[in-house]
Amino acid sequence: MTRQKLLTLPLVFLLVYAIKPYYGGEISLKLNEPTSFILNTANYSNLIFYSLIYENFFYLQKDGAISTHIFDDYRYETGSKTLNLTVKDNLSFSNGKPLTAKSIQSSLKKFLGSDLFAASKLNRIIKNIRLDGNQILIELLIDNPDILALMTAPELVVSAESEQSFSGPFYPENWEKNRHLILKANPFYAGGRTYLDAVKIVFTDDSVPDVFLSTPKSLKENFQEFDSGIFQNIYLCFLQSEVGQNTKIALYTLLKKFNEVSGFKYKELNTLTRDEESPVSIQIKTISPQKTTSILKSSDVKLYILASLSYLEKDLTAFLEDSNLKIETLFIDDSQMMNFLNSTEIKYILIDKIFQTKIPAEEKISRILKESSFNQFNVKYLRMLGELEEVKYSNSQELLMEQIARISETIINDGFIFPLFQKNYSLYIRNVWQAVEVDYYGRPLFQKASKTND
Amino acid sequence: MKRLTQQSCEVPRSGGITALDSKFKICSEKPSNFRICYKALTWLLLILFLHPCYGFSQSSAESLVQQVSEHLQVFFKNKAEARVAVVQFENYSELTDLAMQKIYQMLTARLENEKLIKISDLLINFANGRGEFNLSKVDGFDYLLYLKFIQNKSKTGLGLIIFSRWQDKIVSIKYVEKNLSQGESEFLNTSNFAFPELGFSKLTEFEAKLNIMDIQSINGADEQTRYFLYYPDEIVTYLAKGERLEKQSSFKLKWTRPLYPTLNCQGKLLVFTFKNTLILTAGNNFSPYAQILTLSNNQWLETGKIDFMPFKQLVFNQNIYLVGASYESGKNYFKDKIYFMPFSDPAVISGIFEKKTFAAYAIDFSTQDGQLQGVHLIDRNYNYHLLTADFIEKTAELNKKGAGLAANEGLWLAVSDYSRQTDQIFFYDIKSGGQRPVYTGKTAGEIQFITAGIWQKLSGFWVCIQMPQNSFGRTMLQFWGKRND
Repeated sequence: MTRQKLLTLPLVFLLVYAIKPYYGGEISLKLNEPTSFILNTANYSNLIFYSLIYENFFYLQKDGAISTHIFDDYRYETGSKTLNLTVKDNLSFSNGKPLTAKSIQSSLKKFLGSDLFAASKLNRIIKNIRLDGNQILIELLIDNPDILALMTAPELVVSAESEQSFSGPFYPENWEKNRHLILKANPFYAGGRTYLDAVKIVFTDDSVPDVFLSTPKSLKENFQEFDSGIFQNIYLCFLQSEVGQNTKIALYTLLKKFNEVSGFKYKELNTLTRDEESPVSIQIKTISPQKTTSILKSSDVKLYILASLSYLEKDLTAFLEDSNLKIETLFIDDSQMMNFLNSTEIKYILIDKIFQTKIPAEEKISRILKESSFNQFNVKYLRMLGELEEVKYSNSQELLMEQIARISETIINDGFIFPLFQKNYSLYIRNVWQAVEVDYYGRPLFQKASKTND
Repeated sequence: MKRLTQQSCEVPRSGGITALDSKFKICSEKPSNFRICYKALTWLLLILFLHPCYGFSQSSAESLVQQVSEHLQVFFKNKAEARVAVVQFENYSELTDLAMQKIYQMLTARLENEKLIKISDLLINFANGRGEFNLSKVDGFDYLLYLKFIQNKSKTGLGLIIFSRWQDKIVSIKYVEKNLSQGESEFLNTSNFAFPELGFSKLTEFEAKLNIMDIQSINGADEQTRYFLYYPDEIVTYLAKGERLEKQSSFKLKWTRPLYPTLNCQGKLLVFTFKNTLILTAGNNFSPYAQILTLSNNQWLETGKIDFMPFKQLVFNQNIYLVGASYESGKNYFKDKIYFMPFSDPAVISGIFEKKTFAAYAIDFSTQDGQLQGVHLIDRNYNYHLLTADFIEKTAELNKKGAGLAANEGLWLAVSDYSRQTDQIFFYDIKSGGQRPVYTGKTAGEIQFITAGIWQKLSGFWVCIQMPQNSFGRTMLQFWGKRND
């Protein structure tokens, strides 16, 4: 064998493990179609989508490590109760406009102004936010070295004043409604330009995408399954107090029936959080089909459904048509819902909440109480939340569970939220793609993703 | 063994000796008596085969080489500065071409240390059982050496003929043989290794900070060598003190928008003196321009910005030019262009022109007397390309692949392999315009970059290696050179 051949053989073999990452390529990802590019992380699909175009202040890895692409340095000073964040020099948004400490300050203020649970937690401890050159100084009311962990909330992102500039690894390039959305690599991305040139978000089932969400343990050839650590609870809510108990139970029964007819696509949910962690099970007694029909036949029901549950549309519409009931389904965007709260227009609504499995039960129940009790939120709930905070520091698991049970029972008895189903997700990624990571919040991170055969 | 009888007797009837592959000619004005002597050698070999007592007790390729070099040493004892070159080397043993290269290297490395012999290395390549030599310069030698490797049932032998060009005859014949164990044969045939004492080897090693992009050096008026280590945000200068580097100073680099953050920082530094001023250019893959800095009152001042990243200073039509390339912003490869800029003043940026090449992971320029000799590239498919000074692609003699490369003037080319975890570095002799592989060395991590450099007055290559996680992911700077240079 000649010398060249001797050299060529091992080199051909080694090409598979080529040393230089290949820049280029497009990965396809199946998600629900967003309604706009304005941040809305109400559901898992959105959580993934907006993470592609908006950069988080901090990332929480699965192993608990915290990292950032925006800051050169971050440290908490106990003495001054201040978190110092130093922004990297010369950062830009996707359109080349400067991303400065001021952008960070206004993004943080925007987040704190939202009615998200994560924001309210942070709001309670922040005294003020100041700028000093390329530093942001976050002064706290009380000493809290865990401030950084609170800032890993997926909703805390860097946003620009202009809607056309994005801070994430990609930016929207082309949107063909109902079909796909092309995201291009952001050349100014603070974490370093991605190896990928583009991400194609598909909204149809025309072809099998490279990345998609599906129920766990669905065997998929050539795909790797990642436990997302995420679950989605679906609740039936009654926003007006005048809705009768019979109507509530009838509608609840009808939707339970829908799951049964659909072949139990969704896991039955008998608690407000997870059946595995809740100290109480909620048993809402369903009624017979005949009784359900007779109650709902006379009602003119408009069932509002959050856009994040649009995947229910096809099956649910068909089911309701078969039932010969006069129930109209209307899908509304998550962001629009808040505008309807003070009107009497919405009586019945299907909502969803995304939870991270690892988040403690007390945090989940607090979130439900704050985010899903809507205009029912009152002094009673505020007191219960305060008590929950107290028992959290009592180091008594028993007391904590008891308080969670009490809150759950009160919410159900007050009759404005009924747990219906739970949807668990696994993330499936085609084997040819390497270096796709999944963070604590179950989001795929494509920053270092590249194709193995390139 | 078949080729031995058929080819080795192919001697021209007149006009000198023709090399066996007919590619090169060694011209001699008088008819040669080579044929007769070759027969004598054959007889001698036959006698040696029949009388094993003439064999040698040592059993290694190195001892074969040692005995041949000792013979040469004795032969040239009273012949001051004899100009010598091997012009023919044939292999009729089971050893491969690669093994022959190593044996040849061992011999030339030994002869390079002999003060009475002025040996020249003319080997271009060793393929198909024979060496290819650049015989165009053969007129400048006093003695020519003919080597032949043969094998009988149990032993391997090395035959040497010394041919005097002035006497136009063979003046000495030497044959040595020994048992070459199967293990050693396999080792010679398949293992790639550097010769720590004789060839390119790792001469020193330092730990560097993560993200180091380049290292360059310059000799000061005080005869001391200063090293510049280039990081994305600073340049740190060191002074060589014996076997170590002593930090002297550092200065921050200020980059401005637009800045393209990258996952792999890469860059190139160029240090040179111009009109008694120390000048430094620093370019990279995250800024679209390179900075020109001049040293003034011990302060580095930015005097200009260039749209490409200078690699080298070259002379064209007696004018100084900076030559370089430009990264695709934020990525790990160069655009498909080479840029030239006349350099007459650090503050004057004009007259840039470009030549089209390939998008490449690595580029370097080999020079001869300050003039461009060739452009070496590794394209995005890891293929090596050689372009002439006129930017015409030269068919590569070897089907080489790699990831990083560097050229040391017009003498050596170093190319890294393209594998993770354990990498390799290949050294090629490019002196004669060829790309003859001469040495290889393994590295314990991934090679990040290679750059030509100097360490303790020895010319060679700096190789930056990212160690694997089980070695704590350290970044090591190694210097590879020829200790006997």
